[in-house]
Amino acid sequence: MHKIIRNIFSRKLSSVKDPTTEDFEITGLQLKEHVCRVFGRSLAIRELDSGSDNSAEIELNNLSTPHYDIERFGVSFVASPRHADVLLITGAVTRNMQEAVMKTYAAMPRPCWVIAVGDDACGEGLLNGSYGVLGGADKVLPVDFKIPGNPPTPLEIMQGLASFMESIRQPKA
Amino acid sequence: MMDIVTTGLMTHLESRQIGSRFSRGEGGEYYLRVPGDGIIEAAGWLANREDLALIGIWAVPGHEKDCLELYYAFELKQPSPALVMIAEVKNNQAPSIYKIFPAAINFERRARDWYGLDFTSLPDTRRLLLHEAYPADFHPMVDSDPETLSSNLATTEYSFKKFEGEGLYQVPVGPVHAGIIEPGHFRFSVIGETIFNLELRLGYKHRGLNKLAEGKTVAEVNKLSESISGDESAVNACSFSLAVEKIAGAELPKRAWELRTILLEMERLYSHLGDLAGMLVDVGYPIGASPFFILREEIMRWNATFTGSRFLKGAIIPGGLSRDIEDGMLQKFKFFLVTFSRRMRKALSDVDESAWVIDRFETTGIVSPELVAPLSLSGPVARASGYDGDTRQLHTYGVYTGLKYTIPVKTSGDVLARFRVKAEEAASSIDIISETIARCSPGPVFSGFDPGSGQAIAMLEAPRGRNIHWLRVKNGTVEHWEVITASFCNWPAIEHAVINNILPDFPVINKSFNLSYAGNDL
Repeated sequence: MHKIIRNIFSRKLSSVKDPTTEDFEITGLQLKEHVCRVFGRSLAIRELDSGSDNSAEIELNNLSTPHYDIERFGVSFVASPRHADVLLITGAVTRNMQEAVMKTYAAMPRPCWVIAVGDDACGEGLLNGSYGVLGGADKVLPVDFKIPGNPPTPLEIMQGLASFMESIRQPKA
Repeated sequence: MMDIVTTGLMTHLESRQIGSRFSRGEGGEYYLRVPGDGIIEAAGWLANREDLALIGIWAVPGHEKDCLELYYAFELKQPSPALVMIAEVKNNQAPSIYKIFPAAINFERRARDWYGLDFTSLPDTRRLLLHEAYPADFHPMVDSDPETLSSNLATTEYSFKKFEGEGLYQVPVGPVHAGIIEPGHFRFSVIGETIFNLELRLGYKHRGLNKLAEGKTVAEVNKLSESISGDESAVNACSFSLAVEKIAGAELPKRAWELRTILLEMERLYSHLGDLAGMLVDVGYPIGASPFFILREEIMRWNATFTGSRFLKGAIIPGGLSRDIEDGMLQKFKFFLVTFSRRMRKALSDVDESAWVIDRFETTGIVSPELVAPLSLSGPVARASGYDGDTRQLHTYGVYTGLKYTIPVKTSGDVLARFRVKAEEAASSIDIISETIARCSPGPVFSGFDPGSGQAIAMLEAPRGRNIHWLRVKNGTVEHWEVITASFCNWPAIEHAVINNILPDFPVINKSFNLSYAGNDL
């Protein structure tokens, strides 16, 4: 009990605002505008790891942490491809994941879009030529947009999403 | 020159009329060449020692054509370096040593996939890393012509262990999970809510890194090593660089190792903070997790300030570091860490006061201490189950020798123990960073060298445990590269930890391990 009271009356710790966060806010608001117009206020993303090193996943997870909190801009990561507008694919497509990647894409309602995140998914990584990978995401799926980086930072992913939204103002046939 | 174990082993083999030849590698490791059928006898003798663990088995093309050699690496829990036994393979056949060292199964399955080796009496001959998308007779390290890959694919489906009985049902999960997680397949056999058995199937992310490295320069492979597992970029780059430097006999400036130590500990710090946050999220306590997410994000921003990459990529290269870190910046970071560590302690004490969190953590997902040796577990997973070994202390490297820090050990082996171990390790990483910054010496951070030729093993403590790189270089070109991450040995422990737990507790158990799929699949 005393802990709750102490918590109410104690001085709150506030963190220092740094410039990168400000960029993020601006991009976020732009993104929100697009999301409202193109997707009717909510953009549902299904993330799919097709063979990345795990760094791109960590950055995508970071988008939902307190520093970024991407959900307030209308973007949410969903659990099922059946609920998704966009398939966000990270990593070169490995031979072992090819079937799962295609099944995941097939499970999405149409219209849908595919965004490749990170150098490997964009087909520019170090892994080209290996027997284990087929290449970038566009070797298997129709990729609509690419966000390069090794891995791209949360801000770069946000900026990428905003430019993607701009590029699809006209809904896909 | 030799340690007591190697001498003892040689004497024993001699008494059984098995000849062996001793040599020393560039990395200070001991090589003991034994005849192909002598390995069982040697392994049997080694199994009687309690302070010894099998840390890897891998195949390497011999110096003569069409000849393979198997390398069996053992770690001794004493300052002496690794003992590697080399046995020549005859007719593509080798005896399996799984009865003596159970951890051998997955190593042997991996060598079987890659080289088509036939391990006699190996109980599990299913493929480990190559799935149905590969022809049954495809072995990448011997024959990797991608043209042959699309023809005669394996038609038989992977057979999971069968469990049948009244009220028992199976829950297959993955490879694509409901979340932003790496791919892997979990096959649960469940009675009611209680997990009766779990079988893992990994390898979905197999990218063929080892093969890709062959014939590349050390600088190129160093980049490749950073993509083994993104959140272990620094430690993998450092392990690889260390192996290269050992072969070349390069002496690094002191400052290079000091800065490396800072980066390696920053990696441990942000990894562990992410794990702590993840465990709290998985028991439905996001309020408690948020401070850890915030703390981790701050360290990742410092990573970017120091190296230009939030994952410390491109910083550590053979010969030292690719760029210096300004002293002023380091002092600022040291100052920042004072309040940082206070905030971390506050966040931890808030968790400690939340009885419902402790209740979920306690007695959940127990890895019993008896499993540590047979499965060759390492890192926080092993240290939460009573194992008091850490590569930083056992086989010290860089500037760790002169530092004072504690390595936490818990004995209960449950999620709570792993939570505490990771929390205390994060705190000790902060101490190491502060102390290293305080005594940081001036000077260059890179020294040029000639890569030369030779072979060496490098062993470092990654956030997840023992990280091994074995390397053979010829005139600066990588001939063979073998990587054994801590995840590879630690994954099977999850199969044991979940038994008799309820299915809804699996996420928190899995997160308390937080093993790398990419680092396992290579």
